[in-house]
Amino acid sequence: MFSWLMVGPPILFLCALVGYPFLYGIWLSLEDRPVAQAGKFVGLANFIADFHDPVFWRVAINTFVYTFFATVLKMVGGLALALTMNQDFRFKNTIRALMLLPFIVPTVLSTIAWMWMLDPGFSVINWLLKYTGIANPGPSWLGNPVLAMISLIIVNVWRGLPFYAITLLAGLQTISPDLYEAATIDGAGTWARFRYVTLPLLKPVIFIVTMFSVIFTFADFQLVYVLTRGGPANATHLFATYAFDIAMSGGQLGMGASVALAMLPPLALIIIAMSVYMKPNKS
Amino acid sequence: MSVERGGWSVRALKLWIPLGAFMVFTLFPFYWMAVTSIKPNSELYNRKIMPMIVYHPTLKHYVDLLTETNFLQWTWNTLLVAVVSTAISLVFGTMLAYPLARMKFAGSALISFAVAATYLVPQPLLFIPLADIINQLQLGDTLTSVILTYPTLLVPFCAWLLMGYFRSVPQELEDAARIDGATRLQTMIKVFLPLCVPGFISAGIFAFTLSQNEFLYALIFLTQTDVRTVPVGAIAELVKGDVFYWGQLMAAALLGSVPVAVIYSFFVEHYVAGLTAGAVKQ
Amino acid sequence: MAHIIQAASRRDILKISAATAVGGLLGAARAHAAPKSMTMMHESSFIAAYDAYFKNTIAPAYEKATGIKIVYETVSVGSIQTRDTTVAETGTGPEMAQMAFNWPFLFDQKLVDVTDIAKTIGEKGGGWHANAAEAVVVNGKWKAIPFGNIGQLMNYRTDWFEEVGVKSFPETWHELLEAGIKLKAKDHPFGFELGHGFGDNHGWLYPLLWSFGGREVDTDGKTVVIDSHETAAAVDFAREFFQKTMIEDVLGWTDVSNNKAFLSEQISCTNNAESILYVAKRDFPEIGKATGQAQNPKGPSGERFHMLNPWTHGIFTHTPDVQAAKDFMVWLMDPKQVAGWYDVADSYYGPFLHMYDDASFWHKEPRNLPYRDSMANSHLPGWPAPISRPQGESVAKYVVVDMFAKACAGKSTKEVIADAAAQLKIIFKSA
Repeated sequence: MFSWLMVGPPILFLCALVGYPFLYGIWLSLEDRPVAQAGKFVGLANFIADFHDPVFWRVAINTFVYTFFATVLKMVGGLALALTMNQDFRFKNTIRALMLLPFIVPTVLSTIAWMWMLDPGFSVINWLLKYTGIANPGPSWLGNPVLAMISLIIVNVWRGLPFYAITLLAGLQTISPDLYEAATIDGAGTWARFRYVTLPLLKPVIFIVTMFSVIFTFADFQLVYVLTRGGPANATHLFATYAFDIAMSGGQLGMGASVALAMLPPLALIIIAMSVYMKPNKS
Repeated sequence: MSVERGGWSVRALKLWIPLGAFMVFTLFPFYWMAVTSIKPNSELYNRKIMPMIVYHPTLKHYVDLLTETNFLQWTWNTLLVAVVSTAISLVFGTMLAYPLARMKFAGSALISFAVAATYLVPQPLLFIPLADIINQLQLGDTLTSVILTYPTLLVPFCAWLLMGYFRSVPQELEDAARIDGATRLQTMIKVFLPLCVPGFISAGIFAFTLSQNEFLYALIFLTQTDVRTVPVGAIAELVKGDVFYWGQLMAAALLGSVPVAVIYSFFVEHYVAGLTAGAVKQ
Repeated sequence: MAHIIQAASRRDILKISAATAVGGLLGAARAHAAPKSMTMMHESSFIAAYDAYFKNTIAPAYEKATGIKIVYETVSVGSIQTRDTTVAETGTGPEMAQMAFNWPFLFDQKLVDVTDIAKTIGEKGGGWHANAAEAVVVNGKWKAIPFGNIGQLMNYRTDWFEEVGVKSFPETWHELLEAGIKLKAKDHPFGFELGHGFGDNHGWLYPLLWSFGGREVDTDGKTVVIDSHETAAAVDFAREFFQKTMIEDVLGWTDVSNNKAFLSEQISCTNNAESILYVAKRDFPEIGKATGQAQNPKGPSGERFHMLNPWTHGIFTHTPDVQAAKDFMVWLMDPKQVAGWYDVADSYYGPFLHMYDDASFWHKEPRNLPYRDSMANSHLPGWPAPISRPQGESVAKYVVVDMFAKACAGKSTKEVIADAAAQLKIIFKSA
């Protein structure tokens, strides 16, 4: 059949380069596989070791916290920006293009710029705080464990907000003005219009974008790798960076795979929960 | 939007102030990149002066970047990889999207699900086994390794975007062609696809962006300077030991961003249109 | 092989190598022609002249002498481990490669036993430093040839120290603490890395632990002994040291941060390799004049320690002509070749052979002498236990670093040591 011939090659491609590595990854996680040596089947030993590893749990908490706050901020911020942009003004197109810059610029490069900006010795914010006498030397954005996580979230939001905003803006622009007219005539105020017209119609868009965003954020690697490598004292270590350290520095491919694989259950649960909660009835 | 009431100050409140705030938040790091890239080292390391201003701008970092490093080679590699990966992803994406959008066949739900599930398997989960596989295929340090693996990230998204777009195209023209005796394939290629150019542009830009942004696979598969892409090259080679070449790094960051931004500015309309069709009309 | 050991000069080595190669050609069952070229893979040095020296002086000289072309493949800093891993895993690529830290152990099964040429080179070079073996001996066999040690020592501002009355670098950690308190009061705090870098954190934290008498694991390589009075004393000291002399930011520092902080005059003292002085002299001469280098201070045990940061050269088992590779190694490590190579790097790579203990390159910049003197008490993280996979895992997971970092950030000594001990027990369970 035509359909099968069409979907065949891409499906085979994905099976070979996603499906097979995925299964191989599962196999690796069940092995004791030091680099440059043959693997030895050890069953769930890696996972049991992870279970007893306090750093592993720290990493898990970090990843959840990071994903949750970054996503919420991106959603709220993105919506706010989209609503703001959904008005007529000069230079709208230029501004829309400029707004996308954080998203399209290679992440590691913009993160390097942030690294410099978050250095208390060089940060403009700290400089302002010092100059106005409010605080000296100013907060240590990447040294203080709590601030480090906050900084990471801010950089992630900075990067991801445009994607949310532009997509939500596109969604907003498909809402017919007639609906708003009708609501106004019915006596609805600004907030009521937003709640009963805008939000419900945006739900599908919000859902899709949020799903992608959650997956990418949960599996984030680049930001942490550049800014803190997981420090201070594991305050910003995520699943991806921890797995990387174990496999690439420690030479333990099996254990690294087990940490990476640990991402799957929580991620699947989040997606399912989101589907149940957010997804509108499919028509 | 609703009828605007109130005058200049209301507009400022609803538009200019929030917009201004977002613009500052969004664009400040780029200003920072630009300023840092033209500061001489003596100013770069000086903590006492106002960091936002350059006193003696210099193009030295740009010159050093272009002459002393392989930046141009990396840029070429990045572009090559991005273009080829995007092309592959668009083709595969179309091959997935067309049947799923247009035709009913047994197993379509399963295929849909499988493609979506691919996204649940993010890179960090795959990079260890993939590194092993790439090594065994002797593809380490070749651009082929990334050209092969990038589409795994891009195909699902392209498929999803194109599916949404395809569904929004009216079917009459295709039906007419079928009645005239054209085969499915002919219909698809001659009648349908040409109508979908905006969708392709939109998906293509997105794929291109994701591709030139990719870091993890490139970090692991590409360790030779000749084959590196800009993200890995900049991070790995503008840091020698524990000596950061900050000025050059910022110059690389800017130079690495500008081409993509320029391309984007031409195609923003299409990008948005594609997203609209994809996201809204599910 | 016996005639190799008796060789007294480079020419003899070459004659014998050539003879061996020819002998291999004509002789035994596994004969094959001497290779046309071999590749030596190396991490690129931040001293450009060092890489250039190999490419432009050493390689051509060998080709002239033997007809074998030596390709010098550089890998950017930080990527050499990945590259070594790929080569080891796939069994293809360069025949010889630079290793670091405990990688000879990690790649043990894919590295050729070089005990024989190590002996030769050692004898010709005046003998190996005792700790050279720490990094390369696996199960009694030498798996790589030690090349150079990148010492991690104290870098400090001599001018600021003098301002507070400290004319020479403090001898003990407690004296350093007192100096630091005075300096912080004058807005010249210390900055020692406590984050997830690689060198500048281990460079002072392991020596700190050792000089207080603390150890991670016992010499049997299995028993976790980190939970001790000595460790607690070290942790308490580190916390006080951090709180009274440093800026908070150090908790999140990586290896580049302290260089930046020192060169921007933010800190007065840190632990680093020779790179700060090198860059200072080149780009910030005023700071360069006021920068001093000194050995790590002594602890209550009366001993001082340094971290061993060895660069070593290994030969992979997939090499078609192992003997040719070995011959090249021996030739390379002959004083006629390697002395120039060490020299060009201005002592950044401290030789492991005693004959260079008083080489001229140490005296070119007298401030580098402490790096030479530190060789005697340098050890790999995990010492006194022999190198092992659990030790590598402990380092990759930053067990010791995080123990100190968490204490400095406020956790109780008891808690951080208990955490570290628990982690180590799991890691060393398989030992």
